[in-house]
Amino acid sequence: MLNLLAQESIPLNAETLTLPVFGHALSNSLVVAVIVAALVLWFARRATKNMELVPNRGSQNVFEMIIESLYDMLEGIVGRHMVAKAFPLLATLFVYILAANWFGLLPGVGTWGWGPSRGLLLSLHEVHEPFFRPALEDPLLRPASADLNLTLGMALVFSVFWLIWSFQELGVGGFFSHIFGSKGDIKGFLKYPLVLLFIFVGLIEVLSIAFRPVSLSLRLFGNVYAGENLMHTMSGLGATMGLPAPIAALMSFLIPVPFYFLELLVGVVQALVFTLLCAVYIKLTTSHEEGHGSEHAAHDDHPATIAAVPVAH
Amino acid sequence: MILSVPTFLAAEEGLAQTFGISWAAFLAQVAAFLIVLYVLKKYAFGPIIDVLEERRRRIAEGQANAEKIKAQLAESEVKYREMLDKANAQAQTMINEARSSSDALAQRRSQEAVTEAERIIARAREATTLEHDRVLSEVKRELGRLVIDTTSRVTGKVLTADDQARLSEETTRELV
Repeated sequence: MLNLLAQESIPLNAETLTLPVFGHALSNSLVVAVIVAALVLWFARRATKNMELVPNRGSQNVFEMIIESLYDMLEGIVGRHMVAKAFPLLATLFVYILAANWFGLLPGVGTWGWGPSRGLLLSLHEVHEPFFRPALEDPLLRPASADLNLTLGMALVFSVFWLIWSFQELGVGGFFSHIFGSKGDIKGFLKYPLVLLFIFVGLIEVLSIAFRPVSLSLRLFGNVYAGENLMHTMSGLGATMGLPAPIAALMSFLIPVPFYFLELLVGVVQALVFTLLCAVYIKLTTSHEEGHGSEHAAHDDHPATIAAVPVAH
Repeated sequence: MILSVPTFLAAEEGLAQTFGISWAAFLAQVAAFLIVLYVLKKYAFGPIIDVLEERRRRIAEGQANAEKIKAQLAESEVKYREMLDKANAQAQTMINEARSSSDALAQRRSQEAVTEAERIIARAREATTLEHDRVLSEVKRELGRLVIDTTSRVTGKVLTADDQARLSEETTRELV
């Protein structure tokens, strides 16, 4: 077991590929991000090219099913009024994260790259004495969402859009009133001492809003990074335990199999959690309480079901 | 314990190094994401949502039409039933009328036939009587002639016209 604990884990940071053309910006996770982006765009193009009202192509059916399900679900959260604005961003977040998460499970991602002794495209476990030893220093591919740059980038992009939409819906004054204003219909002398309390609550709210990108990005990063580490550990379990080479080789692809299913599920759940939390954040500021911009509330035919939304993983 | 600004920045820098956060990598990832967002928004989500909306509209139209057709069918069924009932009633009335008129006609025809038959029978009786009378008078006349002829032969004399008239009258009287 000591060997198991002593096994090297995947580094927290994405490794920079030292190619002269791209400089330091080209990390192995960016390579995956670009591949995932290209795949998503290719599939979307394939699905939406020559669309028919009665679809007879699998790609159109699949893409329509994803988009329609997402649209209905998000409409139920953010309301009919906001879904038209927010849907492209939320749907892109979901599709991109899902594709990135699942792409990270493909064989070769995190296991092919540069090694110390054989140069380009070495397997993670080179045959050395005693049998298997980690030999990979620079994997060519790393799951895109196991890089905090991507998860933080997506969370910040969402935060910018969220702020713009909140200002559009509430106005700048309305936005700050929404955060610092009194909650409920308090009248009389009692409201004066409560003003201080609401300002304090507002400050906490501001802090909470400021930490949303951090929590969103770290949650996704943490789950995918942990999953990658789990797969890494499971595939090298036989070698770490010092078992004979044939058994260790057999274990290296048999033991990770159940965890692949787990990671498939985690990939969907994390994409869903990220998207739904974003939707809930939009709902929290753009939905209007009674007497608070009721003209927009009239558009929201479907009340949000925030309580039903999973909040954390 | 309150951290000083340089300590905080140093800690932040260390954190960024630990997680490999750099402006270049961050901006590159954001750019990749924004490109996907832009292209999907412009070329994928828009057309798909349009198609979904169009499909929803057509399905709603189809359902509305189906409801309309169903209502029309029910209405037609009611009308059909009403017309059928009306036609049945009319037919029944016509049958009843035809039945009663045929009864009357049959009765009238029967009456006419009886009358005609009686008339034919009366005429036949009259004709028979006339024929009987004619034959009887002829028989009488022939018999009278035979009596006269026989008498003249038996007596050997030529009977006069008066004798012949008397004999004929007597013979006729004896025959009645």
